[in-house]
Amino acid sequence: MEAMPRGLKALSWITGALFGVALYMVFFYAPREAVMGEVQRVFYFHVAAGWVGALAFLVTAVAGVLYLARGNRRWDIVAQASVEIGVVFTLINIVSGSIWARPIWNTWWTWDPRLVTATVMELIYIAYLMLRQGLEDPGRRARFGAVYGILGFLSVPLTFLSIRIFRTIHPVVVGNSDPTAQGAFDMTPRMLQAFMFSLMTFTFLYATALWHRVRLGRLAEKVDQLKMKVMAG
Amino acid sequence: MAEAFSRPDRAPVAHRGARGYLRAVSAIVWKDLAAEMRSRELLGAMLVFALVVILIFNFALELDIRTRETITSGVLWVTFTFAGTLGLSRSMAIEKDRGCLDGLLLAPVDRSALYFGKALGNLVFMLIVEAIVLPVYSVLYNVNLLQPGLLLVIALGSIGYVTVGTLLASMAVQARTRDVLLPILLFPVIIPVLVAAVKASNGFLQGLEMAEIWPWLNLLIGYDVIFAAVALMVFDYVVEE
Amino acid sequence: MFLREAPADTLSYMILGYSVILGTITLFLMSLVLRFRSLARDLKVLEELESK
Repeated sequence: MEAMPRGLKALSWITGALFGVALYMVFFYAPREAVMGEVQRVFYFHVAAGWVGALAFLVTAVAGVLYLARGNRRWDIVAQASVEIGVVFTLINIVSGSIWARPIWNTWWTWDPRLVTATVMELIYIAYLMLRQGLEDPGRRARFGAVYGILGFLSVPLTFLSIRIFRTIHPVVVGNSDPTAQGAFDMTPRMLQAFMFSLMTFTFLYATALWHRVRLGRLAEKVDQLKMKVMAG
Repeated sequence: MAEAFSRPDRAPVAHRGARGYLRAVSAIVWKDLAAEMRSRELLGAMLVFALVVILIFNFALELDIRTRETITSGVLWVTFTFAGTLGLSRSMAIEKDRGCLDGLLLAPVDRSALYFGKALGNLVFMLIVEAIVLPVYSVLYNVNLLQPGLLLVIALGSIGYVTVGTLLASMAVQARTRDVLLPILLFPVIIPVLVAAVKASNGFLQGLEMAEIWPWLNLLIGYDVIFAAVALMVFDYVVEE
Repeated sequence: MFLREAPADTLSYMILGYSVILGTITLFLMSLVLRFRSLARDLKVLEELESK
């Protein structure tokens, strides 16, 4: 396999540095929240991870459309890479959200529209991977993956909407009555800066991970092709 | 069905435009209905399953009359969802096992007619099952389910369910894990339909204001339209070899 | 005059949260590295087989 392109090496280093700065901002630069205490700091990376999950899903859907339109396998590799990254970051989003909720509302789970939608999104991601796994033919895997990616992506906003309407009409009994508040608090300027910086850092992290994972995908494809060639004799 | 697809002495069906398209769609629907009327395996399975599920709910959720009123819509929709999965899987499996799919693909029709025909057939089966379950439930629990509002919701919800379900079943049936895969693929994507259908059904059953029910109906209609459009665009890629 | 309440002591939850976040990211990146190495090894073996 060709050596890592210089652009990727540079990007990886930059992302690493950004991550270091983000950690500093989150732990030291941002002040401690007046009511929730230290756990509020989880919020910065929790939301950033959620953002990456959504972005990854969008990329998968778009890559799926491009694959169906053009038939170029590269788009399929991108779609699959993005799903994997999305699964990981959405999981981070859900679990960190749960950990944040526990001391605030004395419950591990809130039926909040965003948390539920994230979980549904995660289930769709996993279903996507299971669909691919159950198919033998790589062309079919790519096509069906693309179709499911598109369907799944379109359903997520509708899911969010349905639960949002659900909550405005039936506020949850336990916890605060405002269905849109997920631990609402006022952000001071420093908090806002830490928040925006975290978002940017995680976006870089997504791009870097995607590029690496796509390289991995291309290597895997090369290995598969060579395997078939060698076995054919 | 044969006459719709083999007319060597005349122009191919596709060139007849809308008429040809509709003939193809109805041909596929009639094929499914006729086959089903002979064997009744699909409807039988779905129906028995649905009734058993309702019975189980009765024992699983022992409730007083007042609480029962609030969960009726939930019980109904869970039942329809699971029975629907049976129907979808079976319908596509029959297609694949009998090799009908290849024959249909050779026909000079727009591929989307295939999807339409299949989805319509699945919808008819689902509606038949629902049409039987509703009076049975009404009798068992002494509640009148034959209200126009509720029937509308059931129709809209079933349309959304079958629209996405037919497409996903076509994919799942080609996988190794075909039986387990359809629910896994379908349920997360169908959640807006379920939530909206349950809330709208409940609204009609409890006699709520239309203002409260409208958002749910809009959501259902929106979902149906969006996914019908997408399914039509995308079905080609699911059946191409 | 009311005394301002001190913020809740939620340090342990924060540590738990960040362990999960950073731990998961690390595991994922490590899995990428391991898969890369394993595939590179496979490629080497296959290329040798091919040249024979």
